[in-house]
Amino acid sequence: MTSSKHVRTSRGISWWALALGLALGLAAGLVYTWEIDPVIERNTAPWQLSAAAREDYVVAVALSYAQNQDILLAADRLRAVSPNRNIWEVVAEVACNRVKQGKTVTNSDIRVIRALEQLYRPQGGSGCADGLYPTPEPITIVPPTPTFPPTPTLTPPPSKTPTVPGPTPAGAVVVVPTSTPASGTFALARLQSFCDPERPGIIEVRVYDVRGNGVPGIPVTVTWSGNEADTFFTGLKPEREAGYADFSMEAGRSYTVTIPGLVSNAPTVEADSCQASVDDGVVTTVTSYYVNFQARSN
Amino acid sequence: MAKRCIGSLLVGLLVGLSTGIFLGWGPFPVEYRNSPLAALAPRYQEEYTLMVAEGYQVDRDIEAALERLRPLGKPNTIDYVIELTERYISQSNIPAIPVMVALVEALIGPENLPAIMQLYRPTPTPAPVPQG
Repeated sequence: MTSSKHVRTSRGISWWALALGLALGLAAGLVYTWEIDPVIERNTAPWQLSAAAREDYVVAVALSYAQNQDILLAADRLRAVSPNRNIWEVVAEVACNRVKQGKTVTNSDIRVIRALEQLYRPQGGSGCADGLYPTPEPITIVPPTPTFPPTPTLTPPPSKTPTVPGPTPAGAVVVVPTSTPASGTFALARLQSFCDPERPGIIEVRVYDVRGNGVPGIPVTVTWSGNEADTFFTGLKPEREAGYADFSMEAGRSYTVTIPGLVSNAPTVEADSCQASVDDGVVTTVTSYYVNFQARSN
Repeated sequence: MAKRCIGSLLVGLLVGLSTGIFLGWGPFPVEYRNSPLAALAPRYQEEYTLMVAEGYQVDRDIEAALERLRPLGKPNTIDYVIELTERYISQSNIPAIPVMVALVEALIGPENLPAIMQLYRPTPTPAPVPQG
């Protein structure tokens, strides 16, 4: 009896059809749950964010660190964004990307770059935004010494004897000393090359005052080939930055960048070729440079 | 023979479909990798908001702070910040309260600050000194 039942059961199943049905059913179930009606996203962690959202998150971490100076907390937060990478390099990349995208227009943008840099540089990170926006030096405000108005002096009474007009004195020459700024008023704060096929052979000059604010209207002279020179002024592209100016180099030449009379250590850069990675491979272009000058604080 | 195959196929389909749905919604759900800030888990959204509030302490740029909060996709960003601040107050989250209150104050103005938050204002308005 038992054996006849067993025979009937095994005869009632087609194992091939069952396996096929299982495979098709499993596939259909997964397609339905992954594509047609997936689980609603509710518990996303920072590492699952899109690149833009991750950047926003990293910026928030940097600004928070600028306020609370808690490096361990910042590191924990950054690890949530990028668990498998060097977190300081991630921050440096964010700063670099923001500079490349031109997110350096408003004061808030610049504070963000500074906050990012203050976070990654002491930890050993580095990127193309290094030193672009130096943190202002602290300023000591000395209260002015009050000056009292001069005591009025009485004019002597007129004398009764007429004074004989003497010879007219020769006009005294008053020499007003002109204040010529000493050479070395500005120092080279940054010299860094970069390779960008969209900006080949560009010298990006930035001039800052002691507090780190861009200074417009500063003449910048670039010399090359011994006697060739060009002078241009900062601040003509305010959409980039107040103290910004740029110059296009010809490939293969060397250029010296200076602020006439105000820089003692003028850097020389070379427009040599470089290779940059782009989406569809590697392209050869001309090296560009960041050249920053900052006013010395006496 | 055909009847037997169809029966087995149907049984297999049913079992496979159930297993697939269980796996796809249960242990192996879709893993999102390109999510917006609005999809962050609530605790990360709160942490992000607190970081923005701390950032406001640094740059005092309320427009920039609002701009940073907008991607959270809240129907009303200001209401969300007020609600979170009240929650921090009720939880006695001491480090977070002053920075959040400062952000709320900048968003809605000191005159509209709820009474409970007045206690945590970083720079309280000096009380009037009675004359005479």
